[in-house]
Amino acid sequence: MIRKLWALAHNTFREAVRDRILYSILFFAVGVIALSLVTQEITVGDRDKVVRSVGLGAVAAFGSIMSMFLGISLVWGEVEKKTVYTILSKPISRWMFVLGKYLGMMMTLSVVVAIMGLVYTVLLSAQQTFPPAIVYVSMGLLMVELMLLTSWATLFSTYSAPTTAAGFTLAVFVIGHLADDIWLYGSQLESPAARAIARALYWVLPNFEMFNIRAQAVHEMAIPWPVVVGGLGYGLMYSAGVLCCAMWVFERRDLK
Amino acid sequence: MTPAISTQNLGKTYRVGFFMRRVRGLHDLTLDVQPGEAFGLIGPNGAGKTTAIKILMGLHRSTEGAAQLFGVDVGVPASRQRVGFLPERPYFYAHLTAREVLHFYGQLFGMPKALRHQRVEMLIERVALTRFADVTLAKYSKGMLQRVGLCQALLHDPDLIVLDEPMSGLDPLGRALVRDLILEQRAAGKTVFFSSHILSDVEAICDRVAILVGGELRECGLIADVVADRENLEAVLLGEMAAVTDESALGVL
Repeated sequence: MIRKLWALAHNTFREAVRDRILYSILFFAVGVIALSLVTQEITVGDRDKVVRSVGLGAVAAFGSIMSMFLGISLVWGEVEKKTVYTILSKPISRWMFVLGKYLGMMMTLSVVVAIMGLVYTVLLSAQQTFPPAIVYVSMGLLMVELMLLTSWATLFSTYSAPTTAAGFTLAVFVIGHLADDIWLYGSQLESPAARAIARALYWVLPNFEMFNIRAQAVHEMAIPWPVVVGGLGYGLMYSAGVLCCAMWVFERRDLK
Repeated sequence: MTPAISTQNLGKTYRVGFFMRRVRGLHDLTLDVQPGEAFGLIGPNGAGKTTAIKILMGLHRSTEGAAQLFGVDVGVPASRQRVGFLPERPYFYAHLTAREVLHFYGQLFGMPKALRHQRVEMLIERVALTRFADVTLAKYSKGMLQRVGLCQALLHDPDLIVLDEPMSGLDPLGRALVRDLILEQRAAGKTVFFSSHILSDVEAICDRVAILVGGELRECGLIADVVADRENLEAVLLGEMAAVTDESALGVL
């Protein structure tokens, strides 16, 4: 089973890295990270921190763009291009197919974030000093965030076309970054019913801010390990839950 | 002996459009295909041939009846372990080469590396693709893709080969190659189950045929018995199509 999963994941990775679109986005991302060095010329205050902040923000933004862009057609693309016929007619379960595709996508995103992280490190080391360890912890948590975002994109791609899936995934991304605000504004509401709805939404929807320690990384602040471990556990469990939904949906689909 | 393919009252009703209108793709298909047999499934467009094959390959879920491959329910992925399948117009990963894609499929069958290597090279040579084995499939012609499709269907030396319109759109050379490969498999004692519009090929290859019209099985048996006193298989098929005139029998409920 592990070998079949590996074959599916490796094939997804290989397809992705041979796609020119990936390189276009990656090239643009590296360009924006490099441009962060210019921001120190047009800023006041702590210039080094601004450069670090813009660079880390660019890594997070382009990681999220790639996660959404590649994830929304992960399963749908296989069905539309009918490549799925020659795979699911082999002794492969549908859940294994979805999981294999997802793991392949995560391999791709890991490599992409690693390249962006390397560019960031080289530029920062050349201009300032070697970035502190907390920067890499924040990149690790970014990977957990991308894991969760990709699982949502995978779920939507099991039953909807890329344009619709893109809309849904973007909505989850935006709402997920506003989860704390939903809680805050909800708790200020007078109506108990509205408060209950706001709290239910807070618990059901993903909270991407759990993974955001970029501000602390830029200011080189200490992060308690329970925050990191909690974010990791939350991200893994939530992603597993969303992936199970994706497998359940795909299991019931007829492939036209 | 356990049949290679067995279906009992197999049926599929689709829900289409905004109002989820019911459209019958296949109804009450009962047949057995014995090991070592070459079996042809024929019928006009929309007869339910591809629907039946997709259910057997686990790509569609049946809404009525049941089906088994070598006694294992088609809903279980392991039922496809001894099966090689060539879909109508096979599509592959365009960025991969023929050699890469065949190794990938071999991994999905759990084939050991050495055996995979041996079978891939043997089949690539057999379908005359050696020169193009390291060219990405995006640059392949339709006939070349069909040959890659045949290779992936035969890769693990399956006991049952299911082919959906294997000659469709091929030039005479390609058709001859596919026909020879099917005959080779039949001579090796493999079960061959295929759908086709090209009745002369069906007559040349098959022991038995089933005629599907409007999603229903109209005739099934040895070719000689099915043709009986009629001119040929084409005359039989045209006769069955003429007999099905009312709209419900053409698939609309």
